[in-house]
Amino acid sequence: MADTTAAYATPSPTETREPVLYSTDLVAGYIPGVNILNGCNISAYAGELIGIIGPNGAGKSTFLKAVFGQVKIRSGSIHLKGDDITGLKADKLVSKGVGMVPQNNNVFPTLSIEENLEMGMFQAPKLFSERFEFVTTIFPELAKRRKQRAGSLSGGERQMVAMGRALMMDPSVLLLDEPSAGLSPVRQDETFLRVHQINRAGVSVIMVEQNARRCLQICDRAYVLDQGKDAYTGTGRELLRDPKVTELYLGTLAADVDADTKARADSAAGTTTGTATGTAGVAPV
Amino acid sequence: MPLMYRRASPVVTTIAATVASMIMGIMLAVLMGLSPASAATSPSPEPSPSGDFTSTFTIGGLIRDGDTPIEGVEVQVEGDGFDEVGVTGEDGRWTVPVPGPGAYTATLLPDTLPEGIVPRDPENITRDVTLGTTNTVNVLFPTGEGTVVENNIADTILTRFIYGLNFGLLLALGAIGISLIYGTTKLNNFAHGEMVTFGAVIFFFFGTVIGLPLYVSIPIALALSAFTGYAQDAWLHKPLRRRGVGLVQAMIVTIGLSILARYVILFFLGGNIYTIDTGLTATIDIGPATITVASLVSMGVSILMLILVGLFLTRTRIGKATRAVSDNASLAAASGINVDRIIRIVWILAATLTGLSGILYGVFRQVNWSMGFQILLLLFAAVTLGGLGSAFGALVGALIIGVVTEVSTVWIPNDLRYAVALIILILVLLVRPQGVLGRKERVG
Ligand SMILES: Nc1ncnc2c1ncn2[C@@H]1O[C@H](COP(=O)(O)OP(=O)(O)OP(=O)(O)O)[C@@H](O)[C@H]1O
Ligand SMILES: [Mg+2]
Repeated sequence: MADTTAAYATPSPTETREPVLYSTDLVAGYIPGVNILNGCNISAYAGELIGIIGPNGAGKSTFLKAVFGQVKIRSGSIHLKGDDITGLKADKLVSKGVGMVPQNNNVFPTLSIEENLEMGMFQAPKLFSERFEFVTTIFPELAKRRKQRAGSLSGGERQMVAMGRALMMDPSVLLLDEPSAGLSPVRQDETFLRVHQINRAGVSVIMVEQNARRCLQICDRAYVLDQGKDAYTGTGRELLRDPKVTELYLGTLAADVDADTKARADSAAGTTTGTATGTAGVAPV
Repeated sequence: MPLMYRRASPVVTTIAATVASMIMGIMLAVLMGLSPASAATSPSPEPSPSGDFTSTFTIGGLIRDGDTPIEGVEVQVEGDGFDEVGVTGEDGRWTVPVPGPGAYTATLLPDTLPEGIVPRDPENITRDVTLGTTNTVNVLFPTGEGTVVENNIADTILTRFIYGLNFGLLLALGAIGISLIYGTTKLNNFAHGEMVTFGAVIFFFFGTVIGLPLYVSIPIALALSAFTGYAQDAWLHKPLRRRGVGLVQAMIVTIGLSILARYVILFFLGGNIYTIDTGLTATIDIGPATITVASLVSMGVSILMLILVGLFLTRTRIGKATRAVSDNASLAAASGINVDRIIRIVWILAATLTGLSGILYGVFRQVNWSMGFQILLLLFAAVTLGGLGSAFGALVGALIIGVVTEVSTVWIPNDLRYAVALIILILVLLVRPQGVLGRKERVG
């Protein structure tokens, strides 16, 4: 694994710059004696959209929680814009420009949508209207239903409220834990587009996703986390094309089905005469 | 999460409980040290270890019409050859010293009541009294306006209803305190009853014993009450949360604190029942019902405070953050809210409201060392009835409980009225398990 990682030690175009956020040999866990993260090295450069994928229980959520001061860090460090932020509490991190959308329970159910967003900027209430405008250009639905209780919203709508809340403080790094979980395919696409839009607005994003293919398609760089270590890293395309990553983490079923569908579509349109092969599925995206 | 109580070893908990109780006890002792029982202006004989043996056992009580003490009413105490009649003094209090522990009967002599005043429960004017481990036993004979022959039931119900509203409103102040603490920390605070007693006793001491005017004695009582809230969080519950002590363990700590505080109060106040003198005993007729000015003022104050609390929770930044912490403490922290600070504010606010509730309850009934403990269950019932953790629910629950307990006394014996409240609670929970205003959050 170490070899693979080394092989992918990507000379990205951003190499010369200092990352906005990076972790060095991060070790963390919940129960004494049990490390969930075993030396995690993950970095994000300014303006990058970083994906983290990996099997269930790999420690993806734990990584985000460790960065966000919610899990005790046993060794290693985290730096934000050159400052050591290892072990800082969430409220300090929010004021330093880190935003987080947890995987579960990410809204205040008895508060209205507007109040949820207000809580997002508890530390800077004066800027509310300005930030509210920015957030509602990305999520126009929120402005329309600002008085509705968040607890009565659907899962997808809650996800928007949660992201909106995290964006209120104008973070420079946004941590997203499975933003597309539980959404219909169309809603998932919509969510990824919005994440992309947020990223284009200048926010560095670190996004954990189970929807690995879609995630790799839109992110600049990605990490595969396995058993608390970054097992593979590279650009989204590189990982999508890596047969090992495909076999171990992406699954082959989706690729085969994609290929199959493409082949049918092609033959129906009469553009190809021969049978399409699996290569269609892994063709450059 | 650092802000949640967690599981911990029983040893740590026990030590923490002991230390915490001692701190709270010492604090109370310091405060109460200002008012040792002997300094209180009570005409009833104080049990004193070196005194005449025969006078250390007494049976006594207080006879009032609403808030007004009645003078010259006779109560006959009999038992095992002993027979004596006690007469109420100017303060409505009667006392009969008895030879020693044993079984006695106390009988209200209804003929000695003034015109127009009758026992509220004419069937039950003879009470059995047993003196055992305590030296002093209080017997209450509730009386009220009316005559036995012409007793207009509708008027009685209306009067009771208005008193029930008053009682419900003052209960609501305490219940919202419980609800806010439960909401933000998920802790059931059993010491809440003593916070009620504390407010009443401090107010009694500064207002009635020392005789300071209301605008001085009430702020003092509220400020000291607020301080107990600060102290409980700063010296007890925040350290327990920090150490990761579990919710059940923390609840047991509050039970210990409750018992300790109650007996510290008993030690300084003594076992007697005291009447608060507000100087507001004039009565006003509302249609056929008659209530005192004190009750009207009490209702006005409660309503004003409840409105202020409502505005605080819905309009202010800190109030909204309080609701956010109740909804989801870790998300609140992740949003940049300092959860410990919000919890501190909630404790102080809750203790102040509860102290005020105690002041009003002391005026509504009397002051004694276990007054808060007696209504603790009603407070919990109000909070549960309305929907756990919802401040507005606590208000509705408290009003229901207050009115039901007071109105029920029209038909059932006084002693059973709190049982009625609990029956209502059980019935409501069977129909709406989440409480009257509690909501089931949608899942997914
Ligand atoms: N609060 C906790 N206390 C103890 N162990 C925990 C806690 N949260 C997570 N773990 C353990 O840490 C490991 C990693 O969990 P984590 O939530 O980080 O996985 P994940 O990669 O996000 O998985 P998923 O894709 O299912 O969300 C799991 O084995 C889990 O049991
Ligand atoms: Mg996860």
